[in-house]
Amino acid sequence: MRTVLIADDESSIRLLVHATIESDDYTVVEAADGTAAWEMIQKLKPALVLLDIHMPGRNGLDVLRLIRADAGMVGTRVILLTSKAQESDIEAGLIAGADFYLTKPFSPLDLLTRVDEALLR
Amino acid sequence: MEMQRRERAPKATPERRGWSLRNYMALFIVALLGVAFGAEVAFRGMAEADARQTAEADANFSARVAAAEIANELALLERTTASVAANPQAAVVLSTPKASCTLTFAGGILFTAGRLEIVRSDGTVKCSSGPLPSGAVYATADWLPIAVHRPVIAAHFTDPITQQLSAVVAAPVGSELGAVVGIVALSPVGPNLLTTFGGARNLEFLVTTSDTSTIVARSIQPARWVGTGLAGTSFASSAGPVERRGIDGTTRLYGRSVIAATPWTVYAGADKAATLSAADQFSNRTLAIILAGVGVMLVMVFVVYQRVSEPVRRLSLVMRGSTPGPAVNAVAGHGAAEVTGLAEDFDELMASINRELADRLTREHAATVSERNYRTLFEGHPQPMWLYDVDTLAFLNVNDAAIAEYGYTRDEFLAMTIKDIRPPEDVPKFLELYSTKSPSFDRTGPWRHLLKDGSSVQVLVTSHEVTFGEHNARFVLAENLTESQRLELELHQSQARAQSSAELSRAKDEMVSMVSHEMRTPLASLVGFAELMSTRELTPEQRKEYLGVMVQEGRRLTSLINDFLDLQRIEGGHMQMRFAPADMGTLIVRAVRQGKGDDHIPIETRLPDDLPLVRVDSGAMARVLANLLSNARKYSPGGGSIIIGAAVDAGMVEVYVQDHGLGIPPDAISRLFGKFYRVESPDRQMIQGAGLGLAITKNIVEGHGGKITVTSPGEGKGTTFRFTVPVARQPAQSGDVLIVEDDGGFAHLLEAELTAKGLSSVWAADAETAEHLMARKVPRALVLDLLLPGLQGDAFLTRMRANHGLATVVVVVTLKDLEPSESLSLQKAGVTAVLRKGPGAAETAASIVAKSLVAELVAS
Repeated sequence: MRTVLIADDESSIRLLVHATIESDDYTVVEAADGTAAWEMIQKLKPALVLLDIHMPGRNGLDVLRLIRADAGMVGTRVILLTSKAQESDIEAGLIAGADFYLTKPFSPLDLLTRVDEALLR
Repeated sequence: MEMQRRERAPKATPERRGWSLRNYMALFIVALLGVAFGAEVAFRGMAEADARQTAEADANFSARVAAAEIANELALLERTTASVAANPQAAVVLSTPKASCTLTFAGGILFTAGRLEIVRSDGTVKCSSGPLPSGAVYATADWLPIAVHRPVIAAHFTDPITQQLSAVVAAPVGSELGAVVGIVALSPVGPNLLTTFGGARNLEFLVTTSDTSTIVARSIQPARWVGTGLAGTSFASSAGPVERRGIDGTTRLYGRSVIAATPWTVYAGADKAATLSAADQFSNRTLAIILAGVGVMLVMVFVVYQRVSEPVRRLSLVMRGSTPGPAVNAVAGHGAAEVTGLAEDFDELMASINRELADRLTREHAATVSERNYRTLFEGHPQPMWLYDVDTLAFLNVNDAAIAEYGYTRDEFLAMTIKDIRPPEDVPKFLELYSTKSPSFDRTGPWRHLLKDGSSVQVLVTSHEVTFGEHNARFVLAENLTESQRLELELHQSQARAQSSAELSRAKDEMVSMVSHEMRTPLASLVGFAELMSTRELTPEQRKEYLGVMVQEGRRLTSLINDFLDLQRIEGGHMQMRFAPADMGTLIVRAVRQGKGDDHIPIETRLPDDLPLVRVDSGAMARVLANLLSNARKYSPGGGSIIIGAAVDAGMVEVYVQDHGLGIPPDAISRLFGKFYRVESPDRQMIQGAGLGLAITKNIVEGHGGKITVTSPGEGKGTTFRFTVPVARQPAQSGDVLIVEDDGGFAHLLEAELTAKGLSSVWAADAETAEHLMARKVPRALVLDLLLPGLQGDAFLTRMRANHGLATVVVVVTLKDLEPSESLSLQKAGVTAVLRKGPGAAETAASIVAKSLVAELVAS
C-alpha cells in the first residue's frame, strides 16, 4: 500500500489534513519537523509528501530539494502547504520541484482533490 | 612666591598641662636623696643595735669562760690539797715533830703565785713550798678551825706572809691534826684573765664576792682595787647587764657569771666605744656606697636631661617659631636619636605643608583666573546666556545680553523658572522632552521664547550640564534663529520626517506580513474543520474533537489579535498608563494565584516584609507578571520549580522570575524582546506562541521608567527575567482623599474632580495597597469601589473600621444595583453615600466628599 506523509509542526493542521485525506487506499503518516520528515521519507519512500514550508529543523524547501536530488525518489509527489503568502516563497517552491502548493487557510475539499490528482498521475 | 618667604611667627607659650620633664627629674633627685638618707639612718641604727648586742654577748661569754676557768683552777687546787691530805704521810709528818717534808706549788693559768703548805691546828706551818715561816702565822685565820675538820674553799683573806689578798683552799689531815692548805694570791688573777681571755678586745675582768662587797680581782690596776668594796656602784644595784664608765675613762658593757663552788662572781666588761666605733666604721662604708650610688644617678639624670629634655625644649622653640631655622640644627649634636628623628620628621612635615600651601595658592590663583575668565565670557557674551537649576528649573544667573534681549530685569529673571519664558502651549512639549534624561551636552530647537513685551522669538538652545554652587545646573546659550537657519532647519525636519515615515512604513509592512503569517495557521484550522464538518458525515467523537480544536485555535487567534493591538497601542504611545502607588507583593501574589496552571509546577514566592510601594499601572503590571509567569511555565516542560521574588535596589523595586527550564541560547538573548521572535529548537516546537509577549512586557516596563533584562546560564539551565519599577515617592503625604478603585479611567476622572474642589487625592488600585497607605496616614475621606481585584471593598471597609474607627468619610461606588441587605450593612459600616457608576458619578462623588468634609469641619 502506498504511503502519504504529512510534515507540519502545528498539530491542529496535521489533524485537519489527516482527517481530510483519510482513505483506505493509502497509509497516512505524520512528522512534526523537517528532520523527522526527511528520515521517514528515506525509510518509507512515500508516494506523496504534504510539506509545510515553515518548520523547525529542516524547513520544507530543504526537504523538497533533498527529495528532488535523490535518484530513488523520482516519482515522489510533493504538495507544499504554506502560510507564507508571499510570491517569493511559492516561486522558490515551484523552482525546487513542487507539484502543487496550497496556502493556509485552505479548503479541505480542495486539498483532497489535489491529493487524488497527485496520486493518479 | 609670597608663601615661601613667610616666617613662622613666634607664638605665646601655650598653657601646658602636666609637669615638665625638668620637674619630674627634680622630683626624682629629691626622692633619690630622701631614700639615701633614710637608708643611711636605718643602717646606722641597725649597726649600733647590732654592735651593742654583740658587745653584750661578748661580755657574757667572756664572764662565763672566766668563771669556768677560775672554778677549774680552784677545783684543781682542791684536788691537790685533798690528795696531799689523804696521804698517810701527811698525818705522820704532822704528828712527828722531827719529820721533814717538801711541797711544790704548781701555778695555774690564773693563779700564778701561791704556796702549798701543811699547817698545824695551832696555826704553825710544818711544811711549805715557799720559805717556811716561823710561829703560828695562821693562828688568827678564821678558816683554820674549820679546815681541820673538813675541806674548805675559803674566800679571801690577807696572807700574813705576803700581806696580799689571797684565796685559801684547805683539806683536813687526820683528826684535828692540821690541814693541807693552798694559798694563792688574787692580785695576778685580774691581769691573767685579761691576758688569757681579753685578747685585743680591751675587756675588763672584775671578780667580786657574791655580795659584791669586796673586789677579789681586777684586770685594771689590781693593786689598787683588790680588796676594796663595790657597795653603791651599779654592780651592786643591777641584776642584769651593767653599763658603766670605768676608771680608765672607758665605758663598758658588763656581763656576769657566778663561779661554781665559790662565793665569787665574775664580771667581764666589753669596751662599748670600741664596738660602737666598729659599727660606725661599717655605717660609714655603707654611707660611702650610698653616696656613690646617688652620685651615679645624678650624673645619669643630668645626661638624660641634657640629651632629651633640653633638645625637646629647643625643638619646641623651633616649632613655636620663636627660634628660626630648621629643627634638626637646633637639636643636632645634643639630642638622642629619637629626638633627632622627631626633628627630622617635623622638618619634613613643615616642608610638605609649605609645598601644599604653595600648591593650593597656585590652584586658588588659577581658579580665580578661570572664574574671572568665565565671568568675562558669560557677562560680556553678545548672545543671551543663563544658568538654571535642573531640579527646580529656576534661573540661577543670566548675562547682560539676555537682559537686553528679553527685556526682563535680572531680579525678574531670578524670580522665574525657564517654563515662564515659554508660551503656555509649548510647556507640555518642553516638559516631556525635559523628563527624558538630557545628555550632558545637547542642542535643541527651534523653541519659542517669550519676551517681556509679549512678543516671542525663535531660538536654538545649546545647553551643558554644570555644577553651580550647590546646584545641579545647566548652562544655556540661546541663539536667535536667522532666516537661512530657519529654512535649513525646516528642510532637515521634513527630510527627517520623510525618512522616519519610510522606516515606519517598512516596519509596518514587515509587521503586516508577520501578523498575516501568524494568523493563517489558526485560521486554516478554523476554516478547514468548519468546512469538513459541514461537508462530511462525522461520528460524534470526531465532531467533538474537531470542535475542541476549533475553540482552541479561535482563542489562540483572539489572544494573538489582542497582543498585537496592545503592542500597537503601546508602541504608538496610545496606551494610557495610569500610575498609582501599589504594593508589588500583592500584585505578585495575585498573579501567582491567577496564573496557576494544571501542570503542577510549583511557584515559590520570595517577598521581603519591608517592600516599599511602587508607582505602577496595576493592570499593565499584572500583564507583565502574567506574561513572565506563563513563559516560565511554558518553557519548563520538564517541570522544576519557578521562583518569583522582589527586592529593593537603588530607588527601584526589582522583580525576578526564575525558572529551571529550557534556558536561552546566548545568541538569542539580544533578539528575545523583538516582535514575533521565537527561539527555534526541537525541544520548543511543541510550545505555542506568537512571540509578542516579551515585546509587550518590555514596552510596559519601559513605560514605567524601568528596565528588563534576561540571563540564562545556557540551554537547559533555566532562565531568569528581572525587571525594575520605580518606588512610589512619598505617597499619601498630601492626600485628603484616598481613592480605592481598580478602574484607572474612573480614578483619573475622580482625581480631576477632587482637584477642582481643592482636594488632593491618592489613588490605590487595590485594597491591599490602600491598607499600606492607610498604615502611614489615615485620609480624611475614602472613595471605595466594591468590586476589587483581590480583597473586596466591603471586607476592606470592615477591616478599616476595626483598625481606624469611624472618623473617615466614606463614599462607596459600585457597578451593579445593590440588594437592600447589602445597602443596610454598608450603612451600618458608616458609609456616607452609595453611588452607581455611570455618567456624572465622579463629579457627584467629589461633591459629596467635599460637602461632608466641610460639614465635618463645621461640626468639630
